[in-house]
Amino acid sequence: MAQILITGLDALNFMLALLLVTLGLIIIFGLMNVINMAHGELFLLGAYTVVLVTQAGGSFWIALVAAPLVLAGLGLVIEELVIRHVYHRFIDTILATWGLSLTIKQAIVIAFGPTAQQIDSPLPATVRFLGVGYPAYRLFIMAIAVAAAAATFALFHRTRLGLAARAVIANRYSASSLGINTRRMDRLTFAFGAALAGLAGAVMAPLMSVDPQMGVGFLIPAFLSILIGGAGSLFGAVLGTALIAGGSTIVASVWTQIAAQVVVFGLAIVVIRLFPHGLTGGRR
Amino acid sequence: MTSPRVRVRVTVGVWAVLFGCPLVLGDWPITQLTQLVSYGIFAMSLAFIWGQAGLLCFGQAVFFGTGGYAMAAVTKGMIPALSSGTVTGLALAAALPAAIALVAGRLMFAGKGLSGAYFAIVTLAAAAIVERAASHWAFIGGFNGLLDVPPLTLRLGGRSIELVQPAPTCWVLLAAAAVIHGGLLWLERSPLGTVLRAIRDNERRTAYFGFGVAAYKTASFAIGAGVAGVAGGLFVTQFGFVSPALIGVALSTEVLIWTALGGREVLLAAFLGALLVRAVEGALSDVLGSYWLLGLGLLFVLTVIVFPRGLLGRLLALPLPARLTRLSTPPPSSPNARVTARA
Repeated sequence: MAQILITGLDALNFMLALLLVTLGLIIIFGLMNVINMAHGELFLLGAYTVVLVTQAGGSFWIALVAAPLVLAGLGLVIEELVIRHVYHRFIDTILATWGLSLTIKQAIVIAFGPTAQQIDSPLPATVRFLGVGYPAYRLFIMAIAVAAAAATFALFHRTRLGLAARAVIANRYSASSLGINTRRMDRLTFAFGAALAGLAGAVMAPLMSVDPQMGVGFLIPAFLSILIGGAGSLFGAVLGTALIAGGSTIVASVWTQIAAQVVVFGLAIVVIRLFPHGLTGGRR
Repeated sequence: MTSPRVRVRVTVGVWAVLFGCPLVLGDWPITQLTQLVSYGIFAMSLAFIWGQAGLLCFGQAVFFGTGGYAMAAVTKGMIPALSSGTVTGLALAAALPAAIALVAGRLMFAGKGLSGAYFAIVTLAAAAIVERAASHWAFIGGFNGLLDVPPLTLRLGGRSIELVQPAPTCWVLLAAAAVIHGGLLWLERSPLGTVLRAIRDNERRTAYFGFGVAAYKTASFAIGAGVAGVAGGLFVTQFGFVSPALIGVALSTEVLIWTALGGREVLLAAFLGALLVRAVEGALSDVLGSYWLLGLGLLFVLTVIVFPRGLLGRLLALPLPARLTRLSTPPPSSPNARVTARA
């Protein structure tokens, strides 16, 4: 019983972290029609911001605030230097962001070395409830992820800016002829998506070994989540990440980590093939 | 813009220079060139499916690696039902990836099908899966792979000759590359190639013309996979061993970069892209260390933005076949000729 509860909590934990990465990706894809292959590396940069700040003597909590801000700034720069030039060449956005991902990864290797870095858990305590002990920091991650996801939903569904963003997603040309500045929207979107990835990387840093390859480990599940859930809706991301993260954690707990990846990725490909528009149908 | 005739001469000249290389180079550079040639064939396989049919595959190394493993397994005599010869090995190295691609292609392209970005992401995930699986499958050596793959062996008049001399081996691989280049070029310039380019440019419109788009895409995917498999099979005979590194995401990415830098729409440009990037990497990686990959990544991004057709594509693009240029000035009697020419 306790084991089931812990597995469930682990699955929820993974899902919420994955959701942060996926939300950024899906917004960028939905609004800008850009497949951002460098998103895993934005996650990576979030984690390395924590490494940098803690090495400089700052506390983890400063780093947690700094990471999304740094990444939002970097997002603006990347949008200006790279993405802007390939907007109307859909396939080339994949290639350009893929090249960017290689470049960022290599820059990290040069700056921090290829080996893994460890971040001490800022909340080493264990919380006991329902008869099991669970690390307090993991519960904190869930709270952060839920808060960030809720804020994203509120931003998109409760504010004027969100309304404009959804208008651009629904029909870019109509939105632009109604006076919405789509260029500004693109900048904001990319910065926002990058900030979400940075936040995800920062909160996950104490749980993972921070190394230059950690981005890819999140990129593929995030993409599969989008494709499973449906690329047109934020709720699709919730469904997709729940299935991918839940599936991986459960298979990993009864079998091995490797088997989990092979089985879940394989099933995801089958689902994508059977439901090309995702399980939620989507608007695309 | 260079004239068509000059570009044909450049293509012929490139091959002449390549075949001349073993005459002037030392043994060590020749063995390096031999390995690069198999990478070049691999790049041509991607250029064919991507540049012609528009299939951006992020998992092309799956086929290269499968070919490599097939070749290694056959020539090491691990498959009792098959004789352990070079020819059998290469045949399986071509057939197995092609069969996999045929099945995968049928599954992916039939019906509504996957295209564009979805195809890219699914192939990327597939490459990750296959790499994981290969490094945990004991029959093919798991993480270590298969060691001591025998060299190419030619049978001439009842005698079998092991190709261990650098220069003849290099010529054999160059000849294989030239034959594959010719074959793919012939496909590309045949009516089949025209349909593939039509699918690349506008899949829906091509379907409206009555072409079975899924079948064409599957066929080209399988051809590309077969060629990649042969490249992998040839590669392991030169490299001596095959490991999961040959089958996964990293090599799939590399071949994408070579092809994009050279020129995705021109086979020879992709071939030279692979040769040049690997050769420069070999020469500079000692000096530049980890900055080499950084520079390559930046160059790749820059090429995609500024030269989407690659750095060599325009120089080496051959003129269109006469069949497609003949109708470009419509005869006065036929008002529909312009439409026919475009189609």
